[in-house]
Amino acid sequence: MTDVLTPVLTAGWGDDRAWTLEAYERRGGYQALRAGLAMSPADLTALVKDAGLRGRGGAGFPTGMKWSFIPQDNPKPKYLVVNADESEPGTCKDIPLMMASPHTLVEGVVLAAHAIRAERAFIYVRGEVLHVVRRLRAAVREAYEAGYLGTDVLGTGVNVDLVVHAGAGAYICGEETALLDSLEGRRGQPRLRPPFPAVEGLYASPTVINNVESIASVPAIVRGGVEWFGSMGTEKSKGFTLYSLSGHVRRPGQYEAPLGVTLRQLLELGGGMREGAELKFWTPGGSSTPLLTAEHLDVPLDYEGVSAVGSMLGTKALQVFDQTTSVVRCVLRWTEFYKHESCGKCTPCREGTWWLVQALQRLDAGQGRPGDVELLLDLCDNILGRSFCALGDGATSPITSAIKHFRDEFDAGMHTPSRELFPPERSTAWARPLEGSPA
Amino acid sequence: MTLTPERSSTGAEPVELVTLTIDDVEVSVPKGTLVIRAAELVGIEIPRFCDHPLLEPVGACRQCLVEVPDAGNGRGLPKPQASCTIEVAPGMVVRTQLTSAVADKAQRGTMELLLVNHPLDCPVCDKGGECPLQNQAMSHGQGETRFTETKRTYPKPLPVSAQVLLDRERCVLCARCTRFSEEIAGDPFIALVERGAWQQVGTAPDVPFHSYFSGNTIQICPVGALTSADYRFRARPFDLVSTPTVSEHDACGAAVRVDHRRGTVMRRLAGDDPEVNEEWISDKDRFAFRWSQQADRLRTPLVRDESGELVPMSWPGALAVAARGLAAARDAAGVGVLPGGRLTAEDAYAYAKLARTALGAHDVDFRTRAALAGGEEEQFLASRVAATGPSVTYASLERARTVVLAGLEPEDEAATLFLRLRKASRRGLRVVAVASHTTRGLAKLGAELVRTRPGDEAAALAALELGPDDVLLVGERLADAPGALAAAAALIAGSGARLAWVPRRAGDRGAVEAGCLPGLLPGARPVSDPAARADLAAAWGVPSLPTAPGRDTAAMLAAAADGSLAGLLVGGVDLDDLPDPAVARAALERAFVVSLEVRSSAVTELADVVLPVAPPVEKSGTFVTWEGRLRPFPRVLDVAGSLPDVRVLAGIAEELGTPLGFRTPEGAMAEMTELGPWDGERAAPPTVGTSRASDAPLVLDTWRQLIDSGRLQDGAETYRATARPPAVRASLATLAAAGLTAGAPATVVTAAGERVTYPAEAADLPDGVVWVPATADVHLHAVRGEAVELVRGEVAR
Amino acid sequence: MPDDASRTLKETLWDPVAGFGVTFRTMFRKTVTEQYPYEKLPTAPRFHGRHQLNRWPDGLEKCVGCELCAWACPADAIYVEGAANTADERFSPGERYGRVYQINYLRCILCGLCIEACPTRALTMTNEYELADDDRGALIYTKSDLLAPLLPGMTEPPHDMLLSDDHHDYYTGAVTTPAEDA
Repeated sequence: MTDVLTPVLTAGWGDDRAWTLEAYERRGGYQALRAGLAMSPADLTALVKDAGLRGRGGAGFPTGMKWSFIPQDNPKPKYLVVNADESEPGTCKDIPLMMASPHTLVEGVVLAAHAIRAERAFIYVRGEVLHVVRRLRAAVREAYEAGYLGTDVLGTGVNVDLVVHAGAGAYICGEETALLDSLEGRRGQPRLRPPFPAVEGLYASPTVINNVESIASVPAIVRGGVEWFGSMGTEKSKGFTLYSLSGHVRRPGQYEAPLGVTLRQLLELGGGMREGAELKFWTPGGSSTPLLTAEHLDVPLDYEGVSAVGSMLGTKALQVFDQTTSVVRCVLRWTEFYKHESCGKCTPCREGTWWLVQALQRLDAGQGRPGDVELLLDLCDNILGRSFCALGDGATSPITSAIKHFRDEFDAGMHTPSRELFPPERSTAWARPLEGSPA
Repeated sequence: MTLTPERSSTGAEPVELVTLTIDDVEVSVPKGTLVIRAAELVGIEIPRFCDHPLLEPVGACRQCLVEVPDAGNGRGLPKPQASCTIEVAPGMVVRTQLTSAVADKAQRGTMELLLVNHPLDCPVCDKGGECPLQNQAMSHGQGETRFTETKRTYPKPLPVSAQVLLDRERCVLCARCTRFSEEIAGDPFIALVERGAWQQVGTAPDVPFHSYFSGNTIQICPVGALTSADYRFRARPFDLVSTPTVSEHDACGAAVRVDHRRGTVMRRLAGDDPEVNEEWISDKDRFAFRWSQQADRLRTPLVRDESGELVPMSWPGALAVAARGLAAARDAAGVGVLPGGRLTAEDAYAYAKLARTALGAHDVDFRTRAALAGGEEEQFLASRVAATGPSVTYASLERARTVVLAGLEPEDEAATLFLRLRKASRRGLRVVAVASHTTRGLAKLGAELVRTRPGDEAAALAALELGPDDVLLVGERLADAPGALAAAAALIAGSGARLAWVPRRAGDRGAVEAGCLPGLLPGARPVSDPAARADLAAAWGVPSLPTAPGRDTAAMLAAAADGSLAGLLVGGVDLDDLPDPAVARAALERAFVVSLEVRSSAVTELADVVLPVAPPVEKSGTFVTWEGRLRPFPRVLDVAGSLPDVRVLAGIAEELGTPLGFRTPEGAMAEMTELGPWDGERAAPPTVGTSRASDAPLVLDTWRQLIDSGRLQDGAETYRATARPPAVRASLATLAAAGLTAGAPATVVTAAGERVTYPAEAADLPDGVVWVPATADVHLHAVRGEAVELVRGEVAR
Repeated sequence: MPDDASRTLKETLWDPVAGFGVTFRTMFRKTVTEQYPYEKLPTAPRFHGRHQLNRWPDGLEKCVGCELCAWACPADAIYVEGAANTADERFSPGERYGRVYQINYLRCILCGLCIEACPTRALTMTNEYELADDDRGALIYTKSDLLAPLLPGMTEPPHDMLLSDDHHDYYTGAVTTPAEDA
């Protein structure tokens, strides 16, 4: 089964001191840079476009097309911003990537900057991951010293300056326009669109904002070519990607596989569910994507496959929950997260999450009232598609999907607390016997 | 009256129209219009909170959601759209709550969510009864709440400044206040802080919301989150009688709405006048209205008896005493008339006519300023200002390429004008300021500073060049610098640029039009022109007008002090505003003085007859703005025995046997309109003389800040608490030369021996110039450009 | 008038007496005449009489000066001015109290719409109906005339909130309220 895996980004993660420039160059790093810089920006953009690389941050927008939207006749400077504000519950791919092989990202940044003719690039890293910020900064320093960054990169006349910027730990700053506001030194709140960032982004200049994984995939595409990249994945979702598997599985972690792999395959790679556990529900792409159940084990995990069953591929954060987990409690925790992270700009998200948490707390405590489930659904309907950005939409996904699949558990919240139906200790990693009363 | 109509704006660009369908009604609107405004045009009201037509769209409250089944490209938009942020597109189809169940549910849902954390304060909330949230919750919400859980609570209220109170529980976080402060006023002292439901309006620690325009946030707050400390719990909207009127505080003519309850003014709000102040007014226009409600208000005529005491007397008796005294003085040596600069045009006209008919001389001058630059200012006003219809208007400032400010600090001296300049400057207007330093106001305008030593303005202006799309705004302070007004007139001559004179007081421009100047008759008729005199004499039905030239304020006071004038008829004049208060005091003590005042003052203390007159709120009249625009206003309060100056002067004239021919403001205005402007040869502009560039090592620059201790701001204590702290400003080198550092108490000593001490503040003034604010209670009695000394202060005030 | 001759016997003898039957029967009925003012009888329990401004059990005033009663009044008989409670002078829980409260009984029609409008049940009506005077001024009842008397346990405001530190508790029933006023 291991031939399911396609280690490209993760290929060198196990090397000795893999994060150093020396180790990266040893495994062929910065070779693509020379090739890429030899190409014209337009050719490079066309290459990425032809490869069919789609954004790995969740929405799946074709990366090359995003680059081509940058108006090159605009006299203002162009900027490349890498969104490394990975905060979605369950998502854990960019941080390990930047931790294990930061130079992959740096190389991708220089290539992407060249493609859009940006002379200044930023990596906006989530503030909590200080170790990653340090490692990225060390890598950037190494790259400057080696001539991969700065003026006249590798003697090609291309100038790229790269700044690693640490955020202050707000989920909303993963929203690209809020990220730009934050990067400019303002409070991170989403901006009105239009104007879109490609026209007026950072400092009102044309800006490309890409996910870490998208940018890190560029060197491999330059090296391997369109054919090679297209040999992996499905027709519309090409290439390899990182799946972060977590929850009640034996071996959680990052699995790099072609798009279109199924959860069943990944679970097998991960050693299956933990002892005696059976899959109850899972998220395909973090908590903002509607959750799925065991009947969706064979859904191909690509953009189209997951959409077809009413969810979203998102960030490919596969959180797996077994039968010991209370859906109500799980959804409450997620909703508390969205309430905490709502930026407050728009009414539906700000007030809606405030209300949803209180309604869910009631159900979790077994003190629900008749009509509470309908109330939750109606509230979600009043938030979904009414909020300013996707945060509000994401907050409703776990609730509506959970009610769709597990309505009886919500109904049980009218009389029985979730801790009685699903004692929390049994979901823990150290819970021994899954059946019967706790030891 | 004596004004020519406004020039029609030429070259109006053709407007590109876009046709769309809203609720099955087809409407064509200019390209770029927002859907919510297009809906207004067809009479469809979409509920909204964050949307404000004069602020940038934000789309925060999500109350105005509509369904867009066709975005103009044949495809519908999948989600309901905020109609305050989407622009119209050709062929677009919009369905509002009236025809779309989706939009209706979205709006009801948002309204319910808005009320989740809104307290049930309506009975105790000042906004109750005029609250957009209350009204729209009634029209677009549901009667019963489904939310029974815990609401967010805060301690309340939280003062963001002494006059603006914030109740965070009520706030719906629409960001109108913060956007106003940043976009319109340029004072981002309040901002949204925190996140989620705990997001709130906040200030930086120890930096209160001290903006000259902070009151506007109270008015545009769609809930009762921002309330006025001054109006707190004083009345309810249904108690109040609202009257639209015009502010008496400056020459801008801002439209205000006066709300009164049982004969007492409770508050003032900004009126909506797109041509003048749009929807904004300064805090002075809004909060400074209790000055006429003070205890020292004069209610009955007073006459000085044998023992030298002022005793009350009946109106007929007092008018008779006044007339007798004035007649005696006129026959002895003559009577000077000092009407002051706060009158309506009608009142000023009555003074001008009374002086020239019943009192028989041209001794009338409305100017009560420290510096009077001989005949230059009068020549300038006669040639360039009087009866020049509105050629520079608020709207035309937005179309100008460059605006040059000279002797004018718009934020302090003409706040409404400042806001319009700021609006224009944000859209690309270039502002150039001939001034001593970059003030806060100039910085907010992005003005280029032509750094000028006070007194050297003539040379600075002469060095400028203007083009046809440029405007020169000249403040009244420019008259302090000899030759500067002449230089201003020369600068625009032949350039195609336009000029406007921006005085500080509401009545100044009207007084110019009404002829309250020794050399200028009503309607820009020069006294020196026999034809003009004959024209006016014919209109007034008098055989002839006096031929002897009149005297200006300083000359009249000097003459009264030495006995060559025997009487003075004084309007609203503050002794300390006059060039030499000692001379003024001597003049008032020696001459027979009739004082027409609202409240007792230094002048009424010395007067022989005191005749109480109505404040603007108790009379009708017309102010003339700096543009030359007429701003008529009605009488708000009908107070028995409160008479306008016109009526009192008519009474005196009748007692003197020379009736004015009118007794009411309406009568005066009718006569002025009939009189019309002079169609003969106008006075010549002043010629450039030699400018007096003082060679003193240290010279003074000064003007009055918007909020200070002026008498027209009495009774507004919370408002006064937001004044900018006075400071002594000078360059670092100048401060260092006096042994001072920033923040240390610095004392300015004038030639007259006056001392004023404030903390020193470093600013970009030229070396050898020091700036201090002029205030009503600390008088420098010094002119801009005059030599002063700067020393270490003993005690900071 | 018909002459006597044409009268029947009934008309002649019975009918004149029959009228007194009513009188006679009534003599044995309960008297309805009230001996007011010598004897004062209680009104119907929900009779609309003079108003009263109620207090919280600690003596604080319930009136918040909202003027809704004045707004509701069809006769324009009520005049209210609100003011802010301060830390030193508190008359009611919360921020606002009624500084001036006047009801003009020359205008009041005792319809009770003000009672319905009152959001805090500060204003209720008593059964007191003796609202006559020979002085017009005396018929404008002010706050001191209308405030409910202090019951045992009540303290004359101004004073701090004695029942709870949170003014919300007064309105949500979280403080114990003894039997309310009439």
